[in-house]
Amino acid sequence: MSASGSKRRALSRRALLKAAGAAAAGAAAGAGGLPSAAVEAGTPPSGDTTQAPPPSPPPTRPREPLQALSAAEADLLDAVVDRLIPAEAGSPGAVDAGAVRYIDRALAGGLSHLRETYRTGLAALDRYATMTRGRPFRELGPTDQDSVLIDVETGGATWAGAGFDGSSAAFFALLLAHTRQGMFGDPFYGGNINYIGWDLIGYPGVRLSAGPDDQRIDVKPAPSRRSAYDTDMFTRAVARGATRGGPDGDPA
Amino acid sequence: MQPTPAAIVVESPSLRAGEPIPAVFTADGRNISPALTWRGLPDGTRELALLFEDPDAPTPQPFVHWILYKIPATAAGVPEGVPIDPEAPMPPGMGAAVQGTNGFRRPIYRGPAPPPGKVHHYRFILFALDTALDVGPGLTKAELLEAMEGHVIGRGELVATYERIRK
Repeated sequence: MSASGSKRRALSRRALLKAAGAAAAGAAAGAGGLPSAAVEAGTPPSGDTTQAPPPSPPPTRPREPLQALSAAEADLLDAVVDRLIPAEAGSPGAVDAGAVRYIDRALAGGLSHLRETYRTGLAALDRYATMTRGRPFRELGPTDQDSVLIDVETGGATWAGAGFDGSSAAFFALLLAHTRQGMFGDPFYGGNINYIGWDLIGYPGVRLSAGPDDQRIDVKPAPSRRSAYDTDMFTRAVARGATRGGPDGDPA
Repeated sequence: MQPTPAAIVVESPSLRAGEPIPAVFTADGRNISPALTWRGLPDGTRELALLFEDPDAPTPQPFVHWILYKIPATAAGVPEGVPIDPEAPMPPGMGAAVQGTNGFRRPIYRGPAPPPGKVHHYRFILFALDTALDVGPGLTKAELLEAMEGHVIGRGELVATYERIRK
């Protein structure tokens, strides 16, 4: 899991997913007299990050060979998606769902035209974190990570000189959309590992028929645990022909 | 016709009136809220409300960066770094204060982040109210002004600047 670690709050994950676009509002700790700072442990107030020893970056996750992203980009992206759809107790998040694997495969396939957008955007995001919070994104605590993402989302980071190509808000919208796709899309595309996203929202998965018992209002359908591409009528060849410009790639 | 609100003195240990706002309170820094203090609340003050806005923004109306209300009249100021998590508790002394929805459509503080090109004048406006507002969190500026209508008995303002240089 990524930087947020145990400080993760019962955040507004579902509110997040419902929102037009949203970086999570995260933890904020302690505030005292005047002036005080709602700063997280290990981060000094007033943006002075030179005094506290920098925390070690979170360990890199073992992952499958990447197809488009560099290892550093994938690690950064893991930290980002972990704040967009964090795990909660007993409930997995975008990291567990393999959202980064989805994005990586998409950037090597149907979304290859966005490869440069990601390269530039991720570099700018990390530069912005370092410029404004004193440390690379992965080394920040969850509050500062959320604060960075909010600035990127709202366009506050656009003119900070971090190197965003146009509005930072546009890059954030891309990140959020692809994170949602990686969380809730068909596992065929590399995300939604073990149907994590579908289980989270109670979607039972692909079925070709529904009998009377399945249609009873008081019955929760059993998960099918099937990708659309597990059916004969919706093959990979069909997908490639029908989704020009969309994600593509081999199933896991 | 309402009487003219009493003048309240608004100051800040975090920044100086008429001078540039330190970057730590902007999108070029950690973007935490600055500390403010005030004095001269009129008798009968029951509650306070704070508005932080930029009239120099390229928008038809001043761009709202922060709204804080239901501040108890006993508060002598607001500390630095009000939480950006709406579920996090307010700092001590802030009672049941809540944050409203700013121009970024967020119920939190977001500091100056202007496009380069000119100096912007940011206004912290404090209102003393003769009533306790019966409202929830997340009000917009328009909703807050409507709720305060007829109840403003004091007003104070602190203006500071910020400018981004094109990089």
